[in-house]
Amino acid sequence: MANLSLPLRGKRKGKKTSGLRAGQLGFISGALIPLMLYMMFFSLLPMIWALILGFFEYSPIHTGSSLLGLGGDNPFIGLDNFRAMFAESQPARVFRMAVVNTFMFALLVLPINLAITLPLAVLVESVHDRLKGTFRAVYFLPTISSAVAVAIIWGFIYHPQQGLLNTILKLVGIIPPKAWLTDPNAVYLGVPLAMIAVIIAYIWQDFGYNLVIFIAALQGIPKELHDAACVDGANAWQEFWQCTLPLLKPTLLFVCVLTMLSSFQVFVIFQVMTNGGPSNQTTPLVMSIYLNAFKYQNMGWAAAISMVLFLIIMAVTAVQFWLLRTDWEY
Amino acid sequence: MKRTLFGWLLVFAILISACASGGGGGGAPAPTEQVAEKVTLRLWSHQNAAFQKANEAIIAKFTAQNPNIEIKYENFPYDQYIQTIQTAMAAKNEADVIELFGTWTCSYANGGRLAEVPADVMTYDQAQQIYFKAPLDGYYCGGKLYGLPQEFNLENGGSLVNPALFEKHGVTYPPQWKTFADLIADAQKMTEFEGDKMMTAGFSAVTGDGVSFTFLAGILQSGGKYFAEDGKHFNFDTPEARQTIQMMVDWAQKYKVVDPVLFNDTENPVSTSFFTGNMAVGFVGSWAAGEGSIEYPDMKFDYVQIPPYFGPEHKYAADSGWGKVVSVNTKHPAEAWKLAKFMAGEQDGSLTWNIETKTIPAMKALVENPEELLAAAPFIEATFGLLPYGQYIGDVTERDQLFYEIIYPAILEAMQGATTVDDAAKKINTEANAMVDAKQ
Repeated sequence: MANLSLPLRGKRKGKKTSGLRAGQLGFISGALIPLMLYMMFFSLLPMIWALILGFFEYSPIHTGSSLLGLGGDNPFIGLDNFRAMFAESQPARVFRMAVVNTFMFALLVLPINLAITLPLAVLVESVHDRLKGTFRAVYFLPTISSAVAVAIIWGFIYHPQQGLLNTILKLVGIIPPKAWLTDPNAVYLGVPLAMIAVIIAYIWQDFGYNLVIFIAALQGIPKELHDAACVDGANAWQEFWQCTLPLLKPTLLFVCVLTMLSSFQVFVIFQVMTNGGPSNQTTPLVMSIYLNAFKYQNMGWAAAISMVLFLIIMAVTAVQFWLLRTDWEY
Repeated sequence: MKRTLFGWLLVFAILISACASGGGGGGAPAPTEQVAEKVTLRLWSHQNAAFQKANEAIIAKFTAQNPNIEIKYENFPYDQYIQTIQTAMAAKNEADVIELFGTWTCSYANGGRLAEVPADVMTYDQAQQIYFKAPLDGYYCGGKLYGLPQEFNLENGGSLVNPALFEKHGVTYPPQWKTFADLIADAQKMTEFEGDKMMTAGFSAVTGDGVSFTFLAGILQSGGKYFAEDGKHFNFDTPEARQTIQMMVDWAQKYKVVDPVLFNDTENPVSTSFFTGNMAVGFVGSWAAGEGSIEYPDMKFDYVQIPPYFGPEHKYAADSGWGKVVSVNTKHPAEAWKLAKFMAGEQDGSLTWNIETKTIPAMKALVENPEELLAAAPFIEATFGLLPYGQYIGDVTERDQLFYEIIYPAILEAMQGATTVDDAAKKINTEANAMVDAKQ
């Protein structure tokens, strides 16, 4: 019998080869290194700097020591910034209110967003191919609009005397609320009316993004699965609930994570529409960070708040990954 | 081998970034150059069409007289201006001459970021002869002068008035108010409702600045003071403070000349609501008249003096105003102070600036001979009688936080009926002093 064993070619013991040629590795390095450097300078380093600042009483207009301006008039205070979050001071109260506002906003936006975008995606998918593109474009337009412009326009819509919304409501005989954005006493089921108004404006701008993602996901579901459900006697609702929706779980995970991530970091629409009012009822954590860092020159406190926000977002994302995990694919 | 290469590249990247200055660069252009005798100075201001035009006009005059000095003038959106200054200062990359608001100056000066005005440029004693006290003292920190004011920022004692609404409701125009009660009586006649919703406010001062300055002025006019004995902490829980808060609550709840839910800093602020015809008398600084005359050229309005709230005298606290300071890091201090003095310390430069910006002069001489200024901004004349009565607001630690996070929200809640006058005064006192303690 012939010896069919092949001699080893340059394979060292205990070392795995990547299977790529030198030229390919060079191309990958060349493509990745600039991105890595970019991430290092503009993402990782600022995060590390913010983490460090959280342990200092730091203001950029104070002269610190020669070590990056830390120390000196910007002293190290350990965990004092984090302890102060539980105090009875005005900044601590505003911080705790901002935490509640941020969670309230994110936890309301997500289900409302899904309740609108998923059925709408199914509807858009059911129309003629020639019209699908038009609907997608129309619904996506708000997403590519400037957040500031959207906030200003919705501010006009909500204006108590000259606003479009109140004018329409009065025309149909409905008495509108006194003020959509500035009445601190207008609270419905524990949610301030100003917050509801901002949520409506935000979802109007944002739902197009999730819509196109769901449309793409729906197009990715094999037609044979729908046909099989039909053959088994499923009606439209059963097909959607028991066939389509479970198959969208990976997409749902993606959409939920992205929506929550962006909801936790919303700033522009709050600042332009309500500036955090009335009575801090619409002050989110990001606004609190911005005001403390750049208006009140209290960067150490702002950095500590940003660390708290980071941990919150990380925890919420981990929970979503766990709840919506799948161990299959199609 | 390739993993090792990647590893070294990563280490190299970290080392490179660690060598970068902390706090980020200011993104500003390269520092000043010195080519033989030529000196280049950088000047910063915030973006405002009138302010930019004013500075450019003065720069042109300065460079004509000083051909060896080149001025690079840069301006930034207002919302980003403070951040730009702070990040640049941390990187020691700020401009040589900076247009800074007086009330901010001591924060920067006490942090070691600003240069003291040299004695050969101007001493404080000399400055007291030239400028009104209120704007000047914003630049006077710890016994040293750190800048030269150009503007008397007056947010007290004057209001915009809409003659059309006066005429519509049969109210005497021009107003002949002898007391503040007369103003309120007229305002009541001009307030318009649609059902129970206020459509036109008779009189509104419900803004962050309006409420806060009214609060301080009311305390002073009642014979009180708002600083505690140590001159650093506050004493806002006084009968004078409560009387002033009660006055503002009465505007909303007793006299109903303003609905603070519908007219406040977020919805219908004075500077826009007045010019859209939703307000008969709007309490705001004269700067709003200047802006309004540009943005609403068809709107007929006037700017008039209003009576004091309590007593016969117009006592009030003023916020200093915009002026010029020099960075402690400038490589050309002599030239920088020459420019700052030309812009803010000499009559020609100051007059040019006040005419273009339509602001009240910080310089006494310009008020004593106001013909040129009044030709450009006639509405400023209503404020002249108030100028000698102003005192500088003082070292309030963190002005924006005190006004917009502490005083305004507490008094707004009282005006909206969500809290009592006593609770509002106590809350302001507690939070203001906590702010002082936190900054020490």
